Amino acid sequence: MTGLPLRPAQLRCLSGISGRLYAPRVAPRACYATKWLSSRGLATTPNAGPEAVPLRKHLKDEAKRKKAEAKASYNGNKKQKVDPRLEKWELTVGIEVHAELNTACKLFSSAKTASAEGNGLPNSQVALFDAAMPGAQPQFQHATLLPALRAAIALGCQVQRKSGWDRKHYFHWDQPNGYQITQYYEPFARDGILELTVEDGVPSSELNGASSLKIGVKQIQMEQDTAKTTAHPPSTYHIDYNRAGHPLIEVITLPHIHSPKTAAAVVRKIQAVLKSVDACVTGMELGGLRADVNVSVRQRGTDGASSYSGVSGLGQRTEIKNLSSFKAVEDAIIAERDRQISVLESGGVIEGETRGWSLGATETTRLRGKEGEVDYRYMPDADLPPLLIAPELIEHLRSSLPELPDSTEERVQRDYGLSAKDAKSIASQDDGDRLEYMEETVHLLKEKLDSAVSDQPKLGKIVGNWVLHELGGLQTSNEESWDSVSVASAELADIIANVTQKQITARVGKQLLAKLNGLPLDDKRPSVEDLIDEGNLRLRPLSQEDYEALAQSIMDENPDMVSAVKDKGQKGKAMWFVGQMVRRGEEGTVEPEQARAVVEKLLGV
Amino acid sequence: MTSDAREATPGPPPTSRQGSAISTRLAPQSCIFKEASKEDVMRPNLQKSRKALLLSLRRFNHHVSAQKQPTGLNAIVHQTRDASSAATNPSASSLVGKTIAVKDNIVTASQPTTAASKVLSGFTSPFDATVVKLLQDAGASIGSKASLDEFGMGSHSQTAFNSPVVSPFSRNGEPLSPGGSSGGSAVAVATGEAWAALGTDTGGSVRLPAAYCGVVGFKPSYGLLSRWGVIQYANSLDTVGVLAGNVVDAAKLFGVLNVYDKNDPTSVSDAVRQRLTGHGGSKRKGLRIGVPDEYNIEELTAPVRRAWKGTLSRLQKAGHTILPVSLPATRQALSAYYVLAPAEASSNLAKYDGIRYGNRTSGPDALPKEDLPLYAQTRGEGFGDEVRRRILLGAYALSSEAIDNYFIQAQKVRRLVQQDFDRVFAAQNPLLDSAEGHANDVVDFLITPTAPRLPPTLAELKRQTTVEGYMLDVFTVPASLAGLPALSVPVPLPEKARKDMDADDVQSVGMQVIGQYGSDEGVLELGRTLEDLNPTVE
Repeated sequence: MTGLPLRPAQLRCLSGISGRLYAPRVAPRACYATKWLSSRGLATTPNAGPEAVPLRKHLKDEAKRKKAEAKASYNGNKKQKVDPRLEKWELTVGIEVHAELNTACKLFSSAKTASAEGNGLPNSQVALFDAAMPGAQPQFQHATLLPALRAAIALGCQVQRKSGWDRKHYFHWDQPNGYQITQYYEPFARDGILELTVEDGVPSSELNGASSLKIGVKQIQMEQDTAKTTAHPPSTYHIDYNRAGHPLIEVITLPHIHSPKTAAAVVRKIQAVLKSVDACVTGMELGGLRADVNVSVRQRGTDGASSYSGVSGLGQRTEIKNLSSFKAVEDAIIAERDRQISVLESGGVIEGETRGWSLGATETTRLRGKEGEVDYRYMPDADLPPLLIAPELIEHLRSSLPELPDSTEERVQRDYGLSAKDAKSIASQDDGDRLEYMEETVHLLKEKLDSAVSDQPKLGKIVGNWVLHELGGLQTSNEESWDSVSVASAELADIIANVTQKQITARVGKQLLAKLNGLPLDDKRPSVEDLIDEGNLRLRPLSQEDYEALAQSIMDENPDMVSAVKDKGQKGKAMWFVGQMVRRGEEGTVEPEQARAVVEKLLGV
Repeated sequence: MTSDAREATPGPPPTSRQGSAISTRLAPQSCIFKEASKEDVMRPNLQKSRKALLLSLRRFNHHVSAQKQPTGLNAIVHQTRDASSAATNPSASSLVGKTIAVKDNIVTASQPTTAASKVLSGFTSPFDATVVKLLQDAGASIGSKASLDEFGMGSHSQTAFNSPVVSPFSRNGEPLSPGGSSGGSAVAVATGEAWAALGTDTGGSVRLPAAYCGVVGFKPSYGLLSRWGVIQYANSLDTVGVLAGNVVDAAKLFGVLNVYDKNDPTSVSDAVRQRLTGHGGSKRKGLRIGVPDEYNIEELTAPVRRAWKGTLSRLQKAGHTILPVSLPATRQALSAYYVLAPAEASSNLAKYDGIRYGNRTSGPDALPKEDLPLYAQTRGEGFGDEVRRRILLGAYALSSEAIDNYFIQAQKVRRLVQQDFDRVFAAQNPLLDSAEGHANDVVDFLITPTAPRLPPTLAELKRQTTVEGYMLDVFTVPASLAGLPALSVPVPLPEKARKDMDADDVQSVGMQVIGQYGSDEGVLELGRTLEDLNPTVE
């Protein structure tokens, strides 16, 4: 999921080896890998560039940050710089997320979308209406509604029986008709809710003891995307209308957000939900998603004079448009919050204006003020009949909806015994492929072990550790994606079975894993048993005498260490001897537990 | 209606200035623009044929039929589609050999389409409008594109970018207005250059020129004829209409075009069409004919009032019942129209930027210093005065400060106008689930004049204010707002009145038949009755 290009072919290969023996989940998950390969890198904003933050890296950063936070609070907030102004001022944020829907054709023409057709030549997928040819009319494509409805259901919205289409007017060359068709007066979905936890990145201080934070979703509307412009300096622009008319949804949250971190978490969560129900093809990192944020501050305990989205008592807000990464959302809000506080504290007034933010900037910049604000002259589109959605369709989609991230995490914790943190980690990584792999491995392992260890949560925890940490450890850098891992789930199950049954040591198991990962996927690929036999790796237990002799010889060579344990009471150093024994002993002979018992006996600890 | 909405009400109607001034006579100009072709060489000069034309037009108010067309003008050689393609349609033979002029805001792939605007000069559409395809499939030949008011905005066909349309009729040597915006189509039919013509009617643009040129003009119910390929002016009102020498021909043309089109999202489905068959009645005797009080206005000129009275009394003698009805929202209809139509126009015309097609300014366009977008110059140059006026009016009506008082109010008036009609018509509006309360005396059809006066001269037009010009649509706009079928039939003036008139003047008055939504067949049927009851012209 991190770097491009992706190599999903390998992934498919793995599934082929292991077969799909495990019980399928509630609803099959679409194969994202294939879609990712064909993802066109078409971006609403200049895409993928340096702003894109891979999710895994993000999770790591998040973990680091939390660790640091915990440490800081343990150290009495010594290192954390808390701006005293934040005690005085309260931040309020509302977010609009635009996401490209996963559809085969455009919203109002049968022209194929770029995602359906691969990377077409510029202006090759343009119907008469998409180019605003005189006399051409829009024809609503009903299939585009399905991913939009899945998104609305997943975000807990009330799908409206009747909604309508409106024209939003502004002149830009990427807008061929001179207006965008959107759902301004009557959106198709309203009143949703987004639930976030600490695991989602919400600071625990904001939860006030509750287990989750609820952010209201005001509405979701469908609308058209614009054409893509590429600049050819100094003064030429090329316009590609392939993207013009691609269906988007805009998710508008209520101004219920009070910290930059929560804002970023909200965007991340929306992306995760949309992906989980197959509503959108690409995430922020590929430009398929972008966010506008409304930012205002007010003195705590006071009511401001402004209101929007039905929430009143807010301070004057500004809007920051076109943020294309989670980090950009967080940083832009911090910058804008601080700017507004500074203006207000120096006796100034916040203007209702649109501002921009670019990566690495410390301040937002003014794009246009209220006087330059575009009057969109919203008008119902007389060519398009109202959109009527039957409740039966919604019920059908609701019952066939893929599992949502929250329930996946819950299920992984319950059925596979993973911690909340590991469950989130494994469920959110690699579009669920890693979780699928883990489930497959658990299933195979269960069969191999028969009834020996039938406790699934226990097995799940073991497999989870291997998949997350041992396999994860083989991905040496962020650039190496999950898809580059080439150990089949059946192979991993074999390894774990051997370790569990004390046929090999864990150390040997890890070595085998690394070895298999480096081998090509061909006919000559050896089985785990072959490798164990070839390497003579099977555990040959030493006798008690052998253990003692080995331990004694190491102790004789290191009298200082012996004295450190015996005389100075540094009991921790006893483990050093265990390590030496494992290393010194022949491969696959020394079991750490047994060695420890012997060392402790000889040293009398 | 709030006071704000009333601000848009046009001022006092023009007083009659007929014959008050004489200006230089305009050279007659063709109403047609057409690609230069070999055929053009064979086309006689219109000016030379003028005399013959006018002679023939004297007889025009009677029954115009193919054999009575002035031979000197029936010489345009059109490309006729080969018979094999014509044979694909069962009703193909219906229009074989008929030449049909197409208003130039309906796109054709074989000829340029300009909507009489500079902004589209040189533009040729990559596709044919559905109505054009249907005509070709029925074997008609479409050789010419008829001129119009720029984008259909006007009532006299004088706002075309290249040249205004000139009526074949004149009064005291002064050319008359041909009516608009489908003036080219009406003149083409009146002169016999075309057997029939397609026009578009947004607020009266087919009916008014038909009345002014003494031909039949029919605006069907909204949604029956496809608008795919019809350049939008105000798309909630735009309706393709037909113009012909008589009602039978108009009905024939309408019959060919009256089919569902999946490309037009406002096209009425086959299921609804099924329900409309015979809707509103089409009997020829014992009809209840309504006469709306609100159409008997002060501004109605004597000849028009006389023709209206005469028509009604002939109908009564023929066994029909004449009933007065009231349509109270009529007074506000015109103001509502001139809010709604420009509002939609400002939106529909936003696409003309010279980027993908059409005319682009010759110099650099972007004015970054003035913060103007890329094509401010192109749009400024490309549109004529009237189009710019309506874009500005419409943009204002939709602006956040004005939308509540203008656009929203006008939509409410539009609803009232429709409810007025629903109340007086015996037939229920088939598009609505339940009808509001009915009036005591319900009627089958309404009969009103098409325009309050005979066509003005072009010189008189020049002295008119814009709002006085808008006033002419007062009788045609209500049916447009309600989407109803409306037909203008020329009714000859009584012989006595004709004797006092200039021989070159149009000697008929357009009478309008309005029916309930979907009663198109009945409206056409009553139109035929009107023709039959006309006093014969000797």
